[in-house]
Amino acid sequence: MSEASARTSRIEKILREFHEDASFGKAYDLRLLRRLWQFVYPHRRLLYWSLILGVVTVGFGLVRPLLMQWTIDSGVLAKDANVLLVGAASFAGVTLIEQLLTVVRTLATQRLGAVAVSDLRSHVFAFLHRLRLGYFDGQPVGRLVTRVTNDTDALMELASSGVLNIATDLLKLIGIVVLMLTLDWQLSIVAFLAVPPVMILVQVVRRYHREAFREIRAKTSRMNANMNEQVSGMPVVQAFSRQEAAAEDFDKINQAFREANIRSIKYDAMQDAAIDTVTAICVAFILLALGFHPVSFGVLVAFIAYVREFFEPISLLAQRYTILQSSMAGAERIFALLEVKEFDAPETTPAADSPGDTVISLEGVDFSYKPGVPVLHDVSLFARRGEKIALVGPTGSGKTTIASLLLRLYDVQAGVVRVNGRDVKSFSRDELRRHFAAVPQDVFLFPGTVADNIAAGEKPDLERVEEVLLRISALELFKDRPEGLLANVEERGSNFSAGERQLIAFARALYRDAPVLILDEATASIDSDTEAHLQTALNELMKDRTAIIIAHRLSTIQAADRIIVLHKGRVAEQGTHEALLAGQGLYAKLHALHFSRPR
Amino acid sequence: MFDTLFTTKKTPADQIPVGLWAQFRRQSPGYIAGLLFLAAYHYLQYLFDVELDEAVDVALGNAPGNAVQLGVWLIGISLVAFGVRVLSRIAVFNGGRNAEYELRRATLHHLHKLGPSFYAKMSTGDIMSRVTNDLGQVRLLLGFGVLNLFSTVFALVSSLAVTLERSVKLTLASLSAMPILIIVVLIFSRAMYARQRENQDAIGSLSGRVQASIAGVRVVRSFGLERAEIAEFEKANADYTEKSLRLANLRGVMFPVMQGISSVGIVVLLWYGGHLVLTDPSFDAGSFVAFFRALSRLTWPLISLGFIISVIQRGRASYSRIQELLDIQPDIVDGERSLVSHPRAIGTESPEAGLGPKGVGLEVRDLSFAYGTKQVLRDVSFSVPPGASLAIVGRTGSGKSTLAWLLARLRPTPRGAVFLNGVDVCDLKLTELRRTIGYAQQDPFLFSTTVGRNIGYGLDDPDSDASQQIILQAAQDAHIADEVRELPDGFDTVVGERGVQLSGGQKQRTSLARALVSQPQVLVLDDPLSAVDARTEAAILAAIDKQLQQRSVILVTHRISAAKRCDHVVVLDEGRVIEQGAHAELVKAGGLYAAFNDEQRIETELQRLGSSDLNQLAGAL
Repeated sequence: MSEASARTSRIEKILREFHEDASFGKAYDLRLLRRLWQFVYPHRRLLYWSLILGVVTVGFGLVRPLLMQWTIDSGVLAKDANVLLVGAASFAGVTLIEQLLTVVRTLATQRLGAVAVSDLRSHVFAFLHRLRLGYFDGQPVGRLVTRVTNDTDALMELASSGVLNIATDLLKLIGIVVLMLTLDWQLSIVAFLAVPPVMILVQVVRRYHREAFREIRAKTSRMNANMNEQVSGMPVVQAFSRQEAAAEDFDKINQAFREANIRSIKYDAMQDAAIDTVTAICVAFILLALGFHPVSFGVLVAFIAYVREFFEPISLLAQRYTILQSSMAGAERIFALLEVKEFDAPETTPAADSPGDTVISLEGVDFSYKPGVPVLHDVSLFARRGEKIALVGPTGSGKTTIASLLLRLYDVQAGVVRVNGRDVKSFSRDELRRHFAAVPQDVFLFPGTVADNIAAGEKPDLERVEEVLLRISALELFKDRPEGLLANVEERGSNFSAGERQLIAFARALYRDAPVLILDEATASIDSDTEAHLQTALNELMKDRTAIIIAHRLSTIQAADRIIVLHKGRVAEQGTHEALLAGQGLYAKLHALHFSRPR
Repeated sequence: MFDTLFTTKKTPADQIPVGLWAQFRRQSPGYIAGLLFLAAYHYLQYLFDVELDEAVDVALGNAPGNAVQLGVWLIGISLVAFGVRVLSRIAVFNGGRNAEYELRRATLHHLHKLGPSFYAKMSTGDIMSRVTNDLGQVRLLLGFGVLNLFSTVFALVSSLAVTLERSVKLTLASLSAMPILIIVVLIFSRAMYARQRENQDAIGSLSGRVQASIAGVRVVRSFGLERAEIAEFEKANADYTEKSLRLANLRGVMFPVMQGISSVGIVVLLWYGGHLVLTDPSFDAGSFVAFFRALSRLTWPLISLGFIISVIQRGRASYSRIQELLDIQPDIVDGERSLVSHPRAIGTESPEAGLGPKGVGLEVRDLSFAYGTKQVLRDVSFSVPPGASLAIVGRTGSGKSTLAWLLARLRPTPRGAVFLNGVDVCDLKLTELRRTIGYAQQDPFLFSTTVGRNIGYGLDDPDSDASQQIILQAAQDAHIADEVRELPDGFDTVVGERGVQLSGGQKQRTSLARALVSQPQVLVLDDPLSAVDARTEAAILAAIDKQLQQRSVILVTHRISAAKRCDHVVVLDEGRVIEQGAHAELVKAGGLYAAFNDEQRIETELQRLGSSDLNQLAGAL
């Protein structure tokens, strides 16, 4: 039993490390700021305006308590009603201007944040599309989406939450202290006597709070992960009748989450009350001091006003620091992504097409996705203009890899891949990929309409879309839907059957009208209606085109001009159907086996 | 301890009151305590102002008395005020947290009861956003909202008590701008709500765009769609930037506008209050200062009133989204009968009487099933005697997976169609039904925990020594044990998105092992051979062969190599049984099954090719 509980705690530890990533970024990192500056720089005018207006606003804000002091001392104490009117009016005027400037300044700051972050977001997204396909193989989609959305949003918070005002806030604090000292330096010292002990206390509370908060964050992500798993794994939970155990599991996390929150509430409450309390105590100290050190009525009011204004930005400091931290953590993750150097198909030595009959060829190609696990070894093959080549071989023999290499989705480790006699590395990637129309086995549909998906990236020309659908005899199938060709494609095409998705992919390839077709035939049997459609469509698709077909059906294989049999990453044999039959090799034997059986 | 004082006792999940008002009442002990503290706090604030009045008069030499003593007194009041304010927040917020905890528990409990038809309609993301974001909003309503609403009311009373006592006229004059402030706040918070929604929609479509572009990156690369994708993204990005700027601007403008309006009070105080000090002997300097402070502590609660109102509104809107979820009725409800006590007594639990070693017989009678208007199965009938095996063969979309789900009520099985030992499955207890019929999915979902715990998912204590034995045995039976041992931490390797990625075939065999752990009498395998390479296929077929000897097996497949191992084959096409019989009979019959057999032979030979050495094979052929 002790061994079992040791096992449990070991696994729990592994899982905890796995699920709880409670990492706060370093809040202050010059390198990060420099990189962020690149995106602020084009809009620096807004930053300058924001700063200038900020300084002016602070000035106006500082004048207000002075105006109160003057109004009271020269109005009330000197019993001059006119001064009261002038004082109140100028107080109103100063406030009005101050708030107007604040509005203008806020708009400038917000715009700065929004446009700079928008630029950054575009940059990150475009950068992702420059990375090679291999990079995406090892990355969960959600994580990359987060880089483009949440992490950039965290940076925008810097502007919208007023963190960028920290500099002017600081100026304001200094201004208040200087003015108070000028008004009455002895009273100022007594007024702030209570500040150091209170601040130390707040600091201590804040540290505990931060710890509690960190724990909450970790618990939150654990709780969400557990809930998410249960929801997406609900078929399994129900099939195994594990609802109660799962609820029990979740309850532990849910309770821990509540307890972590309840622990943090007291620190939160103390921080919340601290500022008002310290303000009140400062006022009390001022009055206490007046017992020894009398001042005028006006100075007293100005002091009370200044003390209030002094603590206002301080009360926001903790919150702003948290935002700063999470923004910087986001920035750190974004810039770590931008450090990735794995680019897609970088163009090397330029070369010209060497016109010839051979459209594509592989010469002595070695390739592996992971070091030490070779996928292709010394593969050579070619296709002449208009030729239909069938790639035949078991799963894992490297057929799909060959298709990927032709498009240069991956780079070969040895040998050369040529298109029109030119090394694929000498093309720009767009130029190279214009040669091909690819139909993958697992069709991916993008959000948008059927027509958008067929036109793939171009603005759909509906006439042409109809024409290609007609050519593959699938026009009626799609037109029958209520919205016809403008029907929306739901997430990943879930509102279309597998056969329909295949047909959309065929139409997409035909619409593109590229000289070389690469087709990965679907393995699973599709319902009988669409299957007939697919055969016709396939013939239409291959017409007048060079075609590389990863074939699974005998009918497709027999229709090919040449057959290449792959085995464990090597070309086992190749030739026309007749030649291979005559050669009495592997294919011939396979074929004989197939037809020798009673039909 | 204070922390736990207001924590409610643990209630069974199905007895938790889930109504908003019901939860409010349930947390009322905490709320009442919190409100008492809150009232005390605002009374102390009143007291502070009154003492301040006196202290100022003393300090400015207008009245006899001891300023030092009054100063100390004020410090004392502030410290006590600090204490009660902290306590009020703790008490009320704990109420909000308790409500959140209970609602989350109740929601999960409800989610556990809902069937696949619900999960087909509502995406995981949607459900999660309700359980996290919306529930968070409800918690804000029940914590923050409640506290601040009352705090505002109390602050108003306590401030007005100070100001009205000193001068009614000055109070009215200085608060003259307050109605405008409240109206402005309401307008702002309404606009804010609208813009927040806009903003949410825009970020939603932006991330949808990014998601599709990255998930479909292979197509993007193959077709050179990068530029088009970037153009589409730019559109969504510009839209989101605009929407978020609109929201941020509104927020940014709101604050200065409110500050401006609330300054009217100070202007009036300076002018008219100053006059009063000059002309009215009962309104002295102390009154002026006390009035000043009372006025300023009223400003914040009034400014935040709009925010509180929006918290309450948002909380209620969010609650209605959770309620939508809670209102959905489960379409698969528990039965009452037990298999072991059949056929005589109902509900009595006797030990496993009458069950043979090979378990139960299964019968399907005239089963028809539709998803909405789409008919999927029509009049399907077959039977599987105890210990026998059956293959269900058909093309994609023929209804074979649906049929497999209906056996263990993983979809809403109609009454009078599926029977275990003669008992309608709809009458059986779900736990027992699902323990009897084990199910291994086509596209298995694995939890992001260790491989061992995934396999032992059906066990109560997967870490015990006995369980470890069972897990290992199941893994061996499913022909996955050797491969698991090769993983970095063996059976303790964490799988899933951020852990080790298992291949499709490994996942399928893990899922098979998971089904074997609970030793079901009937094992349903849904398309165990889809998307696996030759070596894996051989391993899975070997695992199936082993199971055929031990229990009833129902195999859903489109592969003849697997189907031919079963005693009996049912061929489905468009939801109907078009042929059934033994493998050999069906091949001879020359129907759809025979056509499949021909179609797949070359495929099968190719797979064999992959698994063996080339020269050997060529020789053998």
